[in-house]
Amino acid sequence: MDKDRKIVVPHLGRVEGHGGIDVEIEKGDISKVNMEIFEGSRFYEVLIIGKKYSEISSIVSRVCGICSAGHTLTSQMATENAFQIKITQRTEFLRGLLLHGEAIESHALHLGCLVLPDLLGYDGPLSMAKDYPKEVTIALNLKKLGNKIQELIGGRAIHPINAVVGGFGKCPSKTQLEQLKIELQKGLEMSDAIVDLFSKIKLPDFNFKEGIYSALLPKEERYSYLGDYIYTSDGITRPISEFRKVCHEKVVAHSTAKQSLYNNQPFMVGALARININHKYLTGKAKEALDKLFPILPSHNPLHINYAQAVELVHSIERSIQLIKFLFEIGFEHEEPVQFEVFASKGVGAIEVPRGTLYHYYEFNDKGEVVEADIITPTAQNLANVEKNMREAVKTLMQGPLNTLQSSLENIARAYDPCISCATHLVRIKFK
Amino acid sequence: MTKKPKIGIFGLTSCAGDQLAILNCEDELLTIADAFDILDWEMAKTNNDKVTELDIAFVEGVVAQTRDLEALQAIRKRSKLLVAIGTCAVWGGVAAMKNQIPREILKKEVYGEEINVVDSVEALPVRSFVKTDILLPGCPIEKEQFLQIAASLLHGDLPELLNFSVCSECKMRENACLVVEKGEICCGALTVSGCNARCPSHNIPCGGCHGPIEEVHYDANYTMFAQRGITKEEIQTKMSNFAAPAWMGQKLLSEIK
Repeated sequence: MDKDRKIVVPHLGRVEGHGGIDVEIEKGDISKVNMEIFEGSRFYEVLIIGKKYSEISSIVSRVCGICSAGHTLTSQMATENAFQIKITQRTEFLRGLLLHGEAIESHALHLGCLVLPDLLGYDGPLSMAKDYPKEVTIALNLKKLGNKIQELIGGRAIHPINAVVGGFGKCPSKTQLEQLKIELQKGLEMSDAIVDLFSKIKLPDFNFKEGIYSALLPKEERYSYLGDYIYTSDGITRPISEFRKVCHEKVVAHSTAKQSLYNNQPFMVGALARININHKYLTGKAKEALDKLFPILPSHNPLHINYAQAVELVHSIERSIQLIKFLFEIGFEHEEPVQFEVFASKGVGAIEVPRGTLYHYYEFNDKGEVVEADIITPTAQNLANVEKNMREAVKTLMQGPLNTLQSSLENIARAYDPCISCATHLVRIKFK
Repeated sequence: MTKKPKIGIFGLTSCAGDQLAILNCEDELLTIADAFDILDWEMAKTNNDKVTELDIAFVEGVVAQTRDLEALQAIRKRSKLLVAIGTCAVWGGVAAMKNQIPREILKKEVYGEEINVVDSVEALPVRSFVKTDILLPGCPIEKEQFLQIAASLLHGDLPELLNFSVCSECKMRENACLVVEKGEICCGALTVSGCNARCPSHNIPCGGCHGPIEEVHYDANYTMFAQRGITKEEIQTKMSNFAAPAWMGQKLLSEIK
């Protein structure tokens, strides 16, 4: 029983960025469970110091290729918050579409290309395609649909160029949106197939303990990725300006990403946290998917993040169709970005991006140049919780075969859909 | 039929956007997987082959830590051809924007005084360290350009790369000029094409994310901006975003003093 065991996954495959897992068991006790991050540092908060408000979003977009639309919009919302800019309804709808496009692309990529191969025993989507051509094709087509939205609204699928502070450079035409709507309707059927597939896959539970989770509360009575208040599962609601009370960051030696703690405890953000908190707002086919995949809520099993993403995939497609309808109602006349004055100020922006709540905070001088910045990404918030969940799983699986333990740990880490580039952008914190 | 080329796709420190751009070739991905033998691609598969010699390595990202340099040297050693993909790999990208600030200061700013855990070096492009055979800039790369390169290499040809400016593409799309009409700082005249003038076609000035064309006319551009009341600091700030080592190291700083 007193086994010394060591598990090292030097490079976790099928995740975005460079990370690994390092576990040590000495004399039957867990002595180490580390999610190691060794992506290089890019020091974003320092890079944007001195840059003008109009330049920031296109720089911080580069924190991450996968959630570049989320970074772009969170950045613009923080800037608008600082300069008290009111955006138009059309901009709101277009931003919604862009975010849903990102969610569709990101969730389809994760579920179809990164997670399914795990569950079906393949090393990746390309080898899986030989035996499961239909499933891989559906995942790729949904991914393509998400990219099509981002391409149309953002002007580019990765690192959007069309979204600016105060609005958009160019609005899509009626014909383009009509075409997109047809494709979204086809996508809705495809997303049904994904939900069906996942409902047939039973995800294990390694005795995960109840944990804390957090997400933005929707502004209106509907499921949304936008909100002005952060809800934590201990029952507290705070305005987004108090984001530092939720994510208190610390430096750990095995990671170039800082870890976030809430009241000195790890917590979870992302699709499962959102479903746990906001599931009552789901309607339509997304509600049907929820009922199919989640007989019990809340769930504390991180592997259920995969189910939660499948539900959100359906929701994002349905909501995109609805947003196009709204855009038709308000018409298609050209609209310039809102004009505004700059002054010395500070602002915060928050969005539920695919992996969880993303915060951007900026302070500007009277010329509209950044003097202080802070970006807290979902993966940085989740890292401590990944380690907590892995520790729980090690406890359960310690005596079993080593390869089962290793693959289970990889599955847990992968379920979080970690975006390591994001986590390692390096947060600059000054608690005042 | 000849054997399938063995390839690897790699990311150094980066946003993974260029690898994502390859994954975004949804219609072509399965064909690519069929035409090439993809031995090593950590972002898309597990069980990667880390030793077999490669015909082609595609490398994204910058060298920002010694770990990146070691990885890059190992990739170069095992590969016949190395294709640098993305503006980071070709020019340094955003990470190289403020290389003039010593890393020690940056680390203290970020982590505080008490812990020094970070392996960080001045961010430089792939080609500062190893021989590159093909350079494909873009932030991210345009997937059509990637597919053209992949197709050329598959047929044993070296691809021909573009060397005209975004400005030329913009004119072909008959957009109104944002510099002339609106007095904006548009980097289109200095920046290499490939994007089909995405930004100016959306009424957004070019940010220079593909890096410079060969033989840029810095003087003429600077004069053009200056005549519209734009200061040299504003021009510098804008132009240093994506390819600072190219602009700053070569000419821009000295020419616009």
